[in-house]
Amino acid sequence: MLFNDYPFLLVFLPAAILLYRLVDPYPQLRIVTLVLLSFAFYAYDNRPFILLLVLSILINWLAALAFARTRRKAIVTAAIVADLAVLGVFKYTNFIAYNLGLVLDRPIPHFDLALPLGISFFTFHHIMYLVDLRRGKAPFYPLPRYALYIAFFPQAIAGPLARWSEVMEQFGRKVYSPGWQREFCVGITFIFIGLFEKIFLGDRIAGIIDPVYARAAAGPVTNGDAWLALGFSIQILYDFAGYSDIAIGLGLLFGVKLPFNFNAPFRSTSIQDFWQRWHITLMTFLRDYVFFPLVNARILPRRFLPLQSNAAMVLTMALCGLWHGASWTFILWGTLHGCALVACALWRRYGWKLPSLLGWVLTVMFVLVTGVIFRAATLDAALNIFQGLAVPANLERGRHLLPLVIIPLMAFLLPASQDIVALLTRRPRPWLSALVGFGLLAILVELGERNVSGFAYFKF
Amino acid sequence: MDLPISNSDSSLEWSRCLAACVGTLGIGALLLFIFLIAVDPYDGGKFGLLGIDGVDDRNSFTAVASRARDTNFDSAIIGNSTAMLLDPVGLSQATGLRFVQLSVVGGTPAEELAVLDFFLRNHQRVGALVVVADPFWCVHAETEPPRPFPYWLYGKSSLAYAAHLFSWPALEHAFQRLSIGLGWRKRNNPTGVFKIEDMWPAGFREINRPLVPPPAATIAGRDIFPDVSLLDDVIRKLPANIAVVLAVPPTFYTTIPQPGSGAALEKQACNAALNRIVAGRPHSNFINYRLDNAMTRDRANFADFIHYRPDLATRMSEGIAASIELGNAARIDF
Repeated sequence: MLFNDYPFLLVFLPAAILLYRLVDPYPQLRIVTLVLLSFAFYAYDNRPFILLLVLSILINWLAALAFARTRRKAIVTAAIVADLAVLGVFKYTNFIAYNLGLVLDRPIPHFDLALPLGISFFTFHHIMYLVDLRRGKAPFYPLPRYALYIAFFPQAIAGPLARWSEVMEQFGRKVYSPGWQREFCVGITFIFIGLFEKIFLGDRIAGIIDPVYARAAAGPVTNGDAWLALGFSIQILYDFAGYSDIAIGLGLLFGVKLPFNFNAPFRSTSIQDFWQRWHITLMTFLRDYVFFPLVNARILPRRFLPLQSNAAMVLTMALCGLWHGASWTFILWGTLHGCALVACALWRRYGWKLPSLLGWVLTVMFVLVTGVIFRAATLDAALNIFQGLAVPANLERGRHLLPLVIIPLMAFLLPASQDIVALLTRRPRPWLSALVGFGLLAILVELGERNVSGFAYFKF
Repeated sequence: MDLPISNSDSSLEWSRCLAACVGTLGIGALLLFIFLIAVDPYDGGKFGLLGIDGVDDRNSFTAVASRARDTNFDSAIIGNSTAMLLDPVGLSQATGLRFVQLSVVGGTPAEELAVLDFFLRNHQRVGALVVVADPFWCVHAETEPPRPFPYWLYGKSSLAYAAHLFSWPALEHAFQRLSIGLGWRKRNNPTGVFKIEDMWPAGFREINRPLVPPPAATIAGRDIFPDVSLLDDVIRKLPANIAVVLAVPPTFYTTIPQPGSGAALEKQACNAALNRIVAGRPHSNFINYRLDNAMTRDRANFADFIHYRPDLATRMSEGIAASIELGNAARIDF
């Protein structure tokens, strides 16, 4: 079910709010109700994979239970390995088979495997909890609460990747307690801003640049349109930040404050700054569960620790790329960002201080250019775009290209959406709320054309 | 985000905010919906309380609905842009019937059948039907629709229609209809007559080659044309007094399959299937205008490979009118 479609906005969400309102006075029903709603949400257009989600929850919870009783770390390790194996099978089998075929110089058949929606995200949620359980940082939770942590519908498909410690205790909270009206106003404003970002900003750019990438996949782009392709990073910002904001807003309607995922990343003055503002919850996960273990592992002698740390950075980002998709374009994108982070760290240590404006220009250019590699279907397609940049930009379409000017300017100049929401909801102003209601009405009318497009991160 | 702890006063104020937001959304949606229902933006006939006639719409996908339900007409020309130049007024004068032009630009057979069905549902008495069958009718397997078509506008369900009214295009159409009602705008010509200068510039452009339907996978499959079968089902249910003329439109001679070629055999099979629909039906005929002759060899008679100019359209209309009068005994001068 898509957050930006009528079935969700007009049927599921109102029904879910009403149902939760009815069970709110009964603490023992709250979590179970949300679990069932989340399963219904997931099963709506992923019926075959609901079983996978349920099994995944059951098996991981049983592993946690067995660990809680026996304290045998091997159980948790086995569960994590199994989680990664399942993710690997669904996501990387064909990629590995294809490349193995190239190495062995013989064709290996393509497997007809569909990627279960949200598998990357619920696998990471399992890992975050199980690793902390093994480290003795996380307590053991009953099945319904654990199931909700994995399947909570606002975040199950594409995050934010909430730590167990951030949300577990919020589940089952009484929502309709004093002050709930403000929480609802904040939540609705988040949903409005998220839908606006997705529909009026992200999708607008997608409409302009998608044909360019389609052309690049088929051959060179020689008509000056290649420049438009640089807009992809802005598109995915508003696509994913929009999704995250809707998720945060929905969480608030059910008494859960989800972590923020973006913090005006295009205002960053360095690539390090950028990665602290972009997909924050994934970067926190990678930092804590991949980068730190790699740095702390005794792989190289102590005097080579900086080298190990830099290598860990590049490897972490390459894995970040691979997590986004089974393609060399993603690995190259991640590796380039890893190298940029290392270069940025070395520059900070040995170079002179760059003026902020120059740092911002370099950061934005790097993100826009590497975004082409991320979006292009193949390395050849990316190369076709880059070669196309040798031709001056084609501006014949005039005002139709205006979104590619206005929307990036918004990304460069506006504060993070959470800051905008905070500003809008600092104090109760009914006229402003009415305006938000009017904005939501305009969005519903816009969605009436049925040009609903999925969120980019659903395929990761 | 830090949320201040609310006291009861602020709770009351936030309640007002919530009511303002949800109220604007709910009441706004309701008022908008009532407005759309009252105006009936596409004049589809399922709603509409203001009695406004016609639309001011250049998109034939949606504009045809208003004409198709107009009971001032009893006969219809169905097709796509290859039928657009058939003049409904001229045909009316020649036959004594009242023709309306219902061509859908870029229409596929499935879409044209939806329009035909809508026309029939909205007319208790039908005089004649002219269906212009271009090569898209001759494909053996169903193909993916090239782009969305508003089937909901031509369907039977009022609910499906209502569900599609909540959109910017519907709102735009609603205001256009309101302007017509207030006398601020002119409605489209009710007969749907097209002027060639509105469509194609002077001269011949080497574009729009006619579709060459892929050959049937098997010999047995050569006589199976799903869209022709659907048309047959519709025509078979009509009373015998309704005249039906099926016409294959002319194309520039270079695009006509060479005699004896596989494409020619396919075309022959499709023509035979179309012919069977009207065989034995009174005042009905199948006319193949896709011939290699002096007229189809003259570039001046075409705007491109498939779109003919008024001279050919007039010749076609004459054949169609004669067929409505004399059935397959009509003399087709082409």
